[in-house]
Amino acid sequence: MVRVTAECHTRPMTGSSHGFSRCTIVPPYLLVRLARVDDPRLAAAAEAARRSLMRDVPIRELRAAAHPTPSSSVHSGVRGGAAARVRGHVDRAVSDAGGLERLPGRLVRREGQPAGADLAVNEAWAGLGDTHSLFWNVFERDSIDDRGVSLEATVHYGRNYDNAFWDGERMVFGDGDGLVFNRFTASLTVIGHELTHGVTQFTANLTYEGQSGAINESLSDVFGSLVEQRSLGQSAAEAGWLIGEGLFTDQVQGVALRSLKAPGTAYNDDALGKDPQPADMTGYIETEDDNGGVHLNSGIPNRAFYLVATALGGNAWETAGQIWFDTLTSGTLGRTVDFAGFARATSRAAVTRHGAGSREHEAVIAGWTAVGLGGGLGTGSRPRSGTGPGTGVGRATVVPAPRPE
Amino acid sequence: MKVVVSRSGGFAGIRTTWEVQVEEQPDRSAWAELLRGLPWDEVSATAPQPDRYVYRIRCAPHEVVLSEQQVSGPWKDLIDRVRGVNEGH
Repeated sequence: MVRVTAECHTRPMTGSSHGFSRCTIVPPYLLVRLARVDDPRLAAAAEAARRSLMRDVPIRELRAAAHPTPSSSVHSGVRGGAAARVRGHVDRAVSDAGGLERLPGRLVRREGQPAGADLAVNEAWAGLGDTHSLFWNVFERDSIDDRGVSLEATVHYGRNYDNAFWDGERMVFGDGDGLVFNRFTASLTVIGHELTHGVTQFTANLTYEGQSGAINESLSDVFGSLVEQRSLGQSAAEAGWLIGEGLFTDQVQGVALRSLKAPGTAYNDDALGKDPQPADMTGYIETEDDNGGVHLNSGIPNRAFYLVATALGGNAWETAGQIWFDTLTSGTLGRTVDFAGFARATSRAAVTRHGAGSREHEAVIAGWTAVGLGGGLGTGSRPRSGTGPGTGVGRATVVPAPRPE
Repeated sequence: MKVVVSRSGGFAGIRTTWEVQVEEQPDRSAWAELLRGLPWDEVSATAPQPDRYVYRIRCAPHEVVLSEQQVSGPWKDLIDRVRGVNEGH
């Protein structure tokens, strides 16, 4: 039985005076899944899903027209760039700040242009492609805004600049100082991390402070790690679960900046000190620095994700990653959601996709319980369906009503 | 008089602190002038950007928190000078 639930997306847009709101009866991912079903018993449902997806095409064309790519307008011969673009085509632009702290810098490569000799440009370019590929091919999200917006990066920002950041429109990478840090494009996880800040901005738009800020950071680490794992073809068991591996020079005692598997163990260096991330709530850090410790306490939800992914096995982006993606894009996360609220939202996402008491639901509960956030998630032993025959059309009772966390 | 600059956040989330004892500096009058001229009471809160640095600057009785985007003009001069003394350049 296919349960019908209402789903609404409200996508805040930057650089625009209006937001984008869309409601559908059946979640798009379910439509796509149904449309692909090859079981004759479900032929009618599959056909209905395909028709529904077809009806949605004009909406997608309308969205795409707002972001025409140079190639689409050229090839279609339509003036004004109103031609439909094909969803899922990556559109990248990399600029070079030339050692200055000015953005965007000089545009050095656009889509369709060949690679040059600049390593940082080439790494950023490939990383943008790998990140776009994860979100499109696994989660069917067309770029960070789901409308095919161009993915933009600037490299060679500043002098000896030991950082990478997301400024609301683009990823920005420093070259490092060569003593402690290498260039920040050297790790694919960093590129995936920065672009995921863009996805978060266009979806839950989590406030970058305190626990919601640490969740924002954790989501970037999670999907940054998934970009790398998928690129390398690593299963959850094979992956290193490190963020920023290779960023430290060989002068530093450390393998990476963070570890999702074992927060607090990524480095231990005489000059830098020890990786300060807590691995569970007993180590939660109260601080006014770092916007309330967003890069510190993110270790807690990071480890929860690692535990869920490894408990489920296989490729982390396929099941655990999908549950986290569903949570991020559910429209039910409040901007200032705390860890407990986020944990509940992942549990609901697991129930919606896999059913209450499912293996996936149990894994999510166990993951959060291990980091001290299992309270309120229940045992997961409720029956799969609380809706008996004859209860009419509507929400299955096992799916808690979405409410802002 | 002591100036303390503490930088937190950034992608790495590593906290770094630099300090300068103004009286021990050869150009202490220039330091005093720079510190007097800083707009200590004119700093307003800004929306943080992901992975950018956060600077906390203390010089009793003053203390301000600046996002990286706010570090320009005399604030940038001060931070560069404090780092320069600590890093020997």
